[in-house]
Amino acid sequence: TLCFQAFLQMCNLPIRVVCRANAEYMSPSGKLPFIHVGNQVVSELGPIVQFVKAKGHSLSDGLDEVQKAEMKAYMELVNNMLLTAELYLQWCDDVTVEEITHPRYGSPYPWPLNRILSYQKQWEVRRKMKAIGWAGKTPQQVLEDVDQCCQALSQRLGTQPYFFNKQPTELDALVFGHLFTILTTQLITDELSEKVKNYSNLTAFCRRIEQQYFEGHNKESSATVAARSAKRSLLR
Amino acid sequence: MAAPMELSCWGGDWGLPSLHPESLTVMAYAKFSGAPLTVNTINNSWRASKGDVPVLTSEDIVISQPAKILNFLRKQKYNADYELSAKQGADTLAYIALLEEKLLPALLHTFWVEAENYCSVTKPWFASRIAFPLSLYLPGKKSREALNRILLTRGGPPLYSLTEVEAQIYRDAKECLNLLSKRLGTSQFFFGDTPTTLDAFAFGFLAPIYKVCFPRVQLQEHLKQLPNLCRFCDDILACYFRLTVSGHSPAGQDTADANLQKLTQLVNKESNLIEKMDDNLRKSPQHPPRNLTTLKLAAGGEEGSPLNRLSP
Repeated sequence: TLCFQAFLQMCNLPIRVVCRANAEYMSPSGKLPFIHVGNQVVSELGPIVQFVKAKGHSLSDGLDEVQKAEMKAYMELVNNMLLTAELYLQWCDDVTVEEITHPRYGSPYPWPLNRILSYQKQWEVRRKMKAIGWAGKTPQQVLEDVDQCCQALSQRLGTQPYFFNKQPTELDALVFGHLFTILTTQLITDELSEKVKNYSNLTAFCRRIEQQYFEGHNKESSATVAARSAKRSLLR
Repeated sequence: MAAPMELSCWGGDWGLPSLHPESLTVMAYAKFSGAPLTVNTINNSWRASKGDVPVLTSEDIVISQPAKILNFLRKQKYNADYELSAKQGADTLAYIALLEEKLLPALLHTFWVEAENYCSVTKPWFASRIAFPLSLYLPGKKSREALNRILLTRGGPPLYSLTEVEAQIYRDAKECLNLLSKRLGTSQFFFGDTPTTLDAFAFGFLAPIYKVCFPRVQLQEHLKQLPNLCRFCDDILACYFRLTVSGHSPAGQDTADANLQKLTQLVNKESNLIEKMDDNLRKSPQHPPRNLTTLKLAAGGEEGSPLNRLSP
């Protein structure tokens, strides 16, 4: 969720975050989060970016063709590695699943619905992992993959303020969303956030965006709402 | 330095050393980095894999996925990315992720899910290289796995029917091809003049689309509109795969060689004939027209039979 908020705030568009239990069902694509503008509802990063672009705001206009190709490639890397790793660690690592994920995912619902829905979600995620070949990976290997991904992002970022020099783009929003979530969410062990913390320019990047786009909009509630919605986004 | 390494993978056709994208990637990387790899293509034997191809065997170590195989080769000091900067290494990872997310579903679909392609080309080709009765089971299993993977990774709502998913994955694949073309631009390889891991992966994914003759070829047609990608594939095939020793050259290569031999014989015969003509002309200068006509007829007769031999 954070990547969307970050993106929309980078475009200087005002937003209000609302947490709902049936959010997945309200969304047109079944995926969170989605935005509700006037009488239009748009979900998922790709369509939201298009929608915002059609309304006249775009972050990547200043990039040339090769840079746009690079940006798309890095966004795929983040989706491929970080998102899948997050899903894996939440749903395929038995200890984490029992102690954290099941209770959190099922918390809005009464028993036995909470158990049924979370088992269903777990089964879905495990099927997907098997199809893409991640089922055979140990948590250690997944952490190594995350490390590799962070290393790539860190090297690409270098000493610049944003990935494509002075201006933030969709990639910055996406990376911020994922990294901030990883850094602030409680799991059984801190290994995942430790991996990210190894790269100081990435943590500095997150802090910078947080200060610039979230705290700047006063209301400490927005930061806590963001944190709460970050926890919910993990349940996807 | 290193123990002898053997790679088991699917064989090739249509001018490619292998039809399988992952096998092609590994073979290309081995060529780029100079790793001495003996390639064993899978044929009709029970030693063939259960589907976990390509497999690298070195002494007692058996490694199966392309990423792991490439890591192993790098540890053995066969590193094609030696000259890349850190940022270029990061770019490599990103572009490989792009290929896997956007291009691979469409590639799988073209090979294994599209009914006409699968029934007329893919299934017979793979079945002919697997021992019976596994050949009845394995292609079907791969087809189901491919469909499963496509649906699970790309088939969520709002795409509810297979046709919508198909349309989306082909759109994504075409966009990916466009992005790759822009990134390649006019340079020979993705990072300058020497090929690297990214070139191996790109070649592994692009070459099957480019070369294999399917009945339904929308992706191939799109690729052919991007001349720099086609040139990229042709260059790699010409430089790194033409000069293969007969250990692993595909059947197509053999018939090409045989044709080349016949053509050379023909040319030699023609040149001998021309020499004879010259001699005759010099020896009997007062009857040039008669000699020419008889020689022309003889040449026509000679040409007739070799041509008949060459035609399929």
